[in-house]
Amino acid sequence: MKMSDNRIMADNLVKTFTRNEKKNRKVDINAVDGISLAVGTGEIVGILGPNGAGKTTLLRMMSKLMRPTSGMVSIRIGDREIADDIEIKRHIGYLSNNTKLYGRFSTAEFLGMLGTLYGLDKEAVERKTRKISDILSMGEFIDNRIEKLSTGQTQRASIARCIIHDPEVYIFDEPTLGLDILSSAAIIDFMKKEREAGKTILYSTHYMEEAEFLCDRIVMIHQGKIISEGTPEKLKRESDKENLRDVFAQLIEKEGIAYEH
Amino acid sequence: MSTKIIKTLVKKEMLDVLRDKKTVVMMLVVPVILYPLIFIGVMQLMAAISSDMRQQDYRIAVEAEDDGAFLHKLTENDDKWKDKGGVDDSDEAADSNTDSYTITIVEPDSIDDYESALQNEELDVYIRGTVQNGKLQYDVYYMSSVANSDYAMNIVMDVFDEYREELTQAKIKDAGLDVREILEPILYENQDKSSREQSMGSLMGSVLPFMLVISLLMGTMYPAIDTTAGERERGTLETILTLPVTNRQLIISKFLTVAVIGMISALLNILSMGGIAVYMYQILGMQTEVASFDMAKFYPAILVGILCIFAFSLFISAITMCVTSFAKSYKEANNYITPLMLVIMFVGYIGFIPNIELTQTMAMIPVANICLLIKNILVFKIDYMIIAVVLISNVAYAVFAILFLSKIYDSESILFGDAKGSLQLFEKRSNLQKGGVPTVSDVWFVVALTIVLVLYAGSMLQLKFGLWGVFGTQLIILLVPLAVVIYTKKDMSATFGLHKTKPIRFLGAFFIILGMYPINIVLSCILITLFPQSADNVVTTFSTIMDGNIVSIFLVIALAPAICEEMLFRGLIYHAMKSRYRTPVAISIVAVLFGIYHMSLVKFIPTGLLGLVLCYVVYKTGSIYPSMMMHCINNAVSVAVTYYPEKIEKIFPILYRESMSLPDALILSGVGLAFLAVGGVLLREKKR
Repeated sequence: MKMSDNRIMADNLVKTFTRNEKKNRKVDINAVDGISLAVGTGEIVGILGPNGAGKTTLLRMMSKLMRPTSGMVSIRIGDREIADDIEIKRHIGYLSNNTKLYGRFSTAEFLGMLGTLYGLDKEAVERKTRKISDILSMGEFIDNRIEKLSTGQTQRASIARCIIHDPEVYIFDEPTLGLDILSSAAIIDFMKKEREAGKTILYSTHYMEEAEFLCDRIVMIHQGKIISEGTPEKLKRESDKENLRDVFAQLIEKEGIAYEH
Repeated sequence: MSTKIIKTLVKKEMLDVLRDKKTVVMMLVVPVILYPLIFIGVMQLMAAISSDMRQQDYRIAVEAEDDGAFLHKLTENDDKWKDKGGVDDSDEAADSNTDSYTITIVEPDSIDDYESALQNEELDVYIRGTVQNGKLQYDVYYMSSVANSDYAMNIVMDVFDEYREELTQAKIKDAGLDVREILEPILYENQDKSSREQSMGSLMGSVLPFMLVISLLMGTMYPAIDTTAGERERGTLETILTLPVTNRQLIISKFLTVAVIGMISALLNILSMGGIAVYMYQILGMQTEVASFDMAKFYPAILVGILCIFAFSLFISAITMCVTSFAKSYKEANNYITPLMLVIMFVGYIGFIPNIELTQTMAMIPVANICLLIKNILVFKIDYMIIAVVLISNVAYAVFAILFLSKIYDSESILFGDAKGSLQLFEKRSNLQKGGVPTVSDVWFVVALTIVLVLYAGSMLQLKFGLWGVFGTQLIILLVPLAVVIYTKKDMSATFGLHKTKPIRFLGAFFIILGMYPINIVLSCILITLFPQSADNVVTTFSTIMDGNIVSIFLVIALAPAICEEMLFRGLIYHAMKSRYRTPVAISIVAVLFGIYHMSLVKFIPTGLLGLVLCYVVYKTGSIYPSMMMHCINNAVSVAVTYYPEKIEKIFPILYRESMSLPDALILSGVGLAFLAVGGVLLREKKR
């Protein structure tokens, strides 16, 4: 796949958390420790790393849910480079296991409200909702309260939430975690289709095989730092391993810390 | 754009909250349906019981050595009542009121033991009349715990009253005297100059504010929890944070939602209660001749009342949201909100206490100000200045609370973290770690609790027991922190600074307090010139309670605060604050709290300064004992100055001047600063 223009850029991101240890002693921990990253249009980049490596923190900073301690995030739309928090949020569709939907609303109501908040007018919201409903075939449950939906239906509603404002960038934090085969296949299909449409996708996962066949590029992070980066083929070639799982294990071992499974 | 976003967000929050059954029940069902139902139910029940009472047959036994005189009176009366009932048949309203009971006279001979007959409810009243010292003495036996017996006793008592009256009049006539002349040597009558509206208002004034506080609390509680902790529990917070809205827009819309729901619920509550009151009034008006009152006179009160509800709901919403924002779940939020509710309800109780006036200072105390204002308006005491102060202060507090709230929503550790280091008081005790100092949240809780206790329990104690009440107040100040520290298993010496220190530090501390005294005198003089009306406040601190002997006064005024107040302020508060903030910030917090604690605008500066210096000494010495000594000396000097004015005025006349010349002030400050400098040098000795 041809490398294309950069769409979302992270420059030397650092996030420091202060933990109160025993006896009120404060300890600073860099959850993300100087990560620079750029993802282009029509590209899927996967973030891999063990629990506590800083994946979620990195993705939260890139989608502007969290302020970085230092470093900055920007987005390029055409010739414009955007660095303002609120403006960046307009162009990102963010999905994680913590972005639950409002159970007391129906999907249609919820999408309507979101559309207004993204600045769409009433007619545009209705048109969009209808279109999304067709694409994700949500017609039969779009007027039901979200708390009444099945897991798969909820997952589709979640995707609908991410695409209502037609964002250029998708940031997904472990989107397939805990889903059955059908639901995760739907997500993976969605990501592939969006890549065809020239969208930018940055996502984190624990599933090495999934990352191997889906991602154009893989970024492996450990203890807040990038330990390796490149196409799956390049990573395998460099470490002379058959699959990503072994590449990853070797890299972690090199770092001197056993990978806790 | 911004208003459109807020509008959409408010709509979303409103829908979300109103689709929660709990809120709707609290807001609508309770006031609109439950109150009237309960009320009508109770009314019906009461009516049923009382009409049952009136139609009962009462069994009365009379055993008297009066040749049946009273028995005759009793039965005659019975006939009379029955006749009356017949005559008044035409009047429908009175009809339901007519007593149609019957009295059955039970032969005393048929009763073996009147007590067991009363117990078994075979007999309602037993009357025994004996002659004692030539006078007839009737003993009426009944059971106050049995409704019928109690009612029958009342009937008997009425008959006795009438009987005695008859006999008195007969005796006076027999003696050849004028009955009226003897029984009514003077005439008197009370005349109520309160208008009907005023008496009605004063009646409502004690209940209505409390009701308002409760209904607003109930109305805002669930929306506040739902929009903050509820959102986190349901996991939608992160979703809303992905949207292109600012935190401020988010908070304002949440706050508006809670405040509006609170207002509506308060208005519904008041309307419902008001409706019941009017209904009751109508019924009373039909039965007895209660003259109607002029509703129009209440219009200004109602108008101001509604404004109060608005301002107050802003305040209550903001405060409850601040508290619930720290919680991760409904359950946790409930834990946090309960103490807050208790405090607010406790303060709301102020409406029931007579003789508490709404002064300028009172007008700035939240909750209490609203209660007193509504009380005042209902008796038509309308002072626009005070109303403005109350409304503005409520809005101002709400604004502060919202600013605080936006800080919470800016804090990622609260939004995404597991919110550790929060209140430990409500954790399971076995989960608490031993050692260390209490968390800042715990300390704020202690401060709030202590202030409330000192304000209410303390002032009650002082009114009742004078000097020893002051001692009781000091005990509260000591015991609350101690209890919390013991409960949360914290390290006593670390929390209170109970460490030994060198004698030279005590000497330094001594010089510093010696220097502080003249400086505070100069300050007080300046403040008196600036605020002449509150001069009494500064000068006569202890004179009102100085009625014991000098030893007990010394113990209560000097020694007790030196220990108790130091343990709270320079011990618990300072050390907890220092564990979280930088030392200057911690010391400033202690100083400000110490100033506020003395509850006077004018005394704020001198006491705050004293608090600052005492805290600095604790910081320098690492021990609380020098500051205890200083506090004791400071108060002891004040006691001496008040207790032995003549002797001390001879030595230091300057202490008793209302104003002082500039040279005097300069000399005093110079002396003070010199002492401070010496003390400072002595404290500077290096720590090892």
